[in-house]
Amino acid sequence: MNALRFAGLLVMAMLLLPAHQIQAQEMDHSMHMHHNHAMPMSDSLVWRMAPMDGMTMPMMPGMMDDIPDVGAFLPGFGMDVSMYPEAKPSEIIDMADGDTLHMDASLVRRTIDGREYVMMAYGGMYPGPLIRADRGSKVIVEFTNNIDMPTTVHWHGLRLDNAFDGIPGLTQDPVETGESFTYELKFPDTGMYWYHPHMREDVQQDLGLYGNMLVDPTEEGYYAPVNREVPLILDDILVDANGLFPYGEEAPTHALMGRFGNVMLVNGITDYNLDIQAGDVVRFYLTNVANTRTFNVTFDGARIKVIADDVSKLEREQFVSSVIIAPAERYIVDVYFDEARTYTITNAIQAIDHFRGIFVPETHQLGTVTASGKASEDYAEAFAEARTNEDTIADIDGFRRYFDKAPDHNLRLTIETKDLHPMTMRMMEVDTLYFPPIEWSEGMPMMNWLSTGDEARWVLLDEDTGKKSMDINWQWEVGDVVKIRVFNDPSSFHPMNHPFHVHGQRFVVTHIDGVENRNMGWKDTTIIPVGSTIDILVDVTNPGKWMAHCHIAEHLHAGMMLGFEVRERGAGPQAGR
Amino acid sequence: MTRKFPLYLGSLALLALAVLVSPIVEAGSSPSEATPECAQVSSPDYYEIDLVTTRKVPGARLAKGKGEVTYAASPFGISVSEEGSYLVNIDVSMSNVRLDEDKQLVAWVTTPQLDQIKALGSLDENLRVTGQTDFNKFLLVITLEPKGKEPGAMWTGPVVSRGMSRSGLMHTMAGHGPFESEPCAVYGY
Repeated sequence: MNALRFAGLLVMAMLLLPAHQIQAQEMDHSMHMHHNHAMPMSDSLVWRMAPMDGMTMPMMPGMMDDIPDVGAFLPGFGMDVSMYPEAKPSEIIDMADGDTLHMDASLVRRTIDGREYVMMAYGGMYPGPLIRADRGSKVIVEFTNNIDMPTTVHWHGLRLDNAFDGIPGLTQDPVETGESFTYELKFPDTGMYWYHPHMREDVQQDLGLYGNMLVDPTEEGYYAPVNREVPLILDDILVDANGLFPYGEEAPTHALMGRFGNVMLVNGITDYNLDIQAGDVVRFYLTNVANTRTFNVTFDGARIKVIADDVSKLEREQFVSSVIIAPAERYIVDVYFDEARTYTITNAIQAIDHFRGIFVPETHQLGTVTASGKASEDYAEAFAEARTNEDTIADIDGFRRYFDKAPDHNLRLTIETKDLHPMTMRMMEVDTLYFPPIEWSEGMPMMNWLSTGDEARWVLLDEDTGKKSMDINWQWEVGDVVKIRVFNDPSSFHPMNHPFHVHGQRFVVTHIDGVENRNMGWKDTTIIPVGSTIDILVDVTNPGKWMAHCHIAEHLHAGMMLGFEVRERGAGPQAGR
Repeated sequence: MTRKFPLYLGSLALLALAVLVSPIVEAGSSPSEATPECAQVSSPDYYEIDLVTTRKVPGARLAKGKGEVTYAASPFGISVSEEGSYLVNIDVSMSNVRLDEDKQLVAWVTTPQLDQIKALGSLDENLRVTGQTDFNKFLLVITLEPKGKEPGAMWTGPVVSRGMSRSGLMHTMAGHGPFESEPCAVYGY
């Protein structure tokens, strides 16, 4: 018998073996309308089939009527959308040392692509207000929760005091509806940062609770001169013919791959356009706030020079053909638009058609830059120079002798599953020949949607102690230089890239798959591709109880997090290792 | 006469033993402490390409080889082209090869359909070469070529070894099995 035919019969047998009974559920089933005392809801929100934009696989038998094993949730469901205030575009809030900002999180009405949605907003804005302050300053944010879910605010990337890091159960209690919390922010590092909830981020962040913090340098000539400075926040959102697609009520759906959106947003809109002069050099501060999507950003042939990442300038500015930015990362790039024309900002990827086993090029238009006239100041020469940043080099010099030290911690990224849909199990067992380094898009939307945080538990495994995820509580001291080796295990059930984020401290990536990183910058988040081993070196300076976790929102809430505690040097015996 | 082992010596011995066997636990390193060097990490095993000999070329019938795949240098931790294809370095190494003096091994990458071919370069005296590609799926091909001649648009000599990229193993489900709706050959298999 032809070997391929035999293989095909084997596949068929595996798929049709009645090893599990599929718990088929009717689409309109009252048992899925769980009522949560914290969330007043209409009784009529039911699951509907998730958008299948990326799906090329024929629907598997028995999956057509399946829904996730959690209730469906949408903010303001059943309410008249016009009763919510209309959100307005983000504003820049310049804050001096000691200033106080009053900011809330509230339900708002937003219009995206001509359709109105009930969403969430900080300060009634989309994105949230851009807080701008000088390095070294300190400000206060008086935060009030006016959404119908408990929440907190995490100030991503800031090396601020632990008490204000925004982690429920660790640094503070959740801020309940109607309650307030005072955050004290300090800005020791120049760069672009962002703030977002740290409770059900898969819901709250996805619905619009995010904003930037721009920390300006105090040194003259810190960056090269440019004509314009522009923040760009990249996001996506999942909608269908009925509107926003519901979220999991008790636990996140889309736990396997995270919730990919099918509508791209830049600064909260689908038709972003920037008008500039031809010949302008524009500094873009890129932030990726999507739940799971990694972007590959291009500017339609305009030259791109990356000058800084999350927490610092790079050792050397570097020309690149595109900008790869994972969830929660930031990059500062200078782009030279030398011609008078319209440039399209795109996300250009190689998607995977799992059914046909092929790569399929995809581009998504993110926005446009319209260049006309002539630049008032000519910075082309400054742009052409890729500067060497001696200040960054000198800063990192103090840590070079640790680059080749043995890891203090070895972390393996993996997943455990329980009661996952049997068809998902079967298909994953069949389709195992290749997992790409990065999941740029959602190739199996049905299986992804059906997986909840209860069924797919993402795991950070400490290989030295055997402890997993939140059982890990590393003990460090201020002044430590800690090397963490992170391995993304390709033999796990569903390997996937993970953006790994460390709270409260900064780190450099020293090696990628054994190859020394030749152009470093300080970071707080880094991509861990499938199959790769990434060495990071943490500069431990900030005392307190902190977290490190995958910044794919659904993975975080499916358990992919660990704790570490930083004590003052000489504070006493270590515990919990 | 019974000789008694002095108690203090016994205690010292026990203490020395305890020190030798106790795990040394470090949370990290203070800036003043040096620590031992760590084991080197190699390229990801998952994407490594196993070079399989064709057994056709004298002196190389039992050749072994591999292509170790790492990302091209990038400030982003991973490198892709403007179109989103992974840009990778391939470190080719061969062994168990005896060549005539006028011959050399040359490494190539080609698509599974053989419609695009690119030379990675000639292997050096240690039978190694490093090159770069952005092909989504590729075959790594080692051929026997005249020495001293720059590789051309494609190989002229016999194929010594070949291997498929990990991505090249990604197979169509449309071509066979319960979904058989199109011939496998359409997708190059």
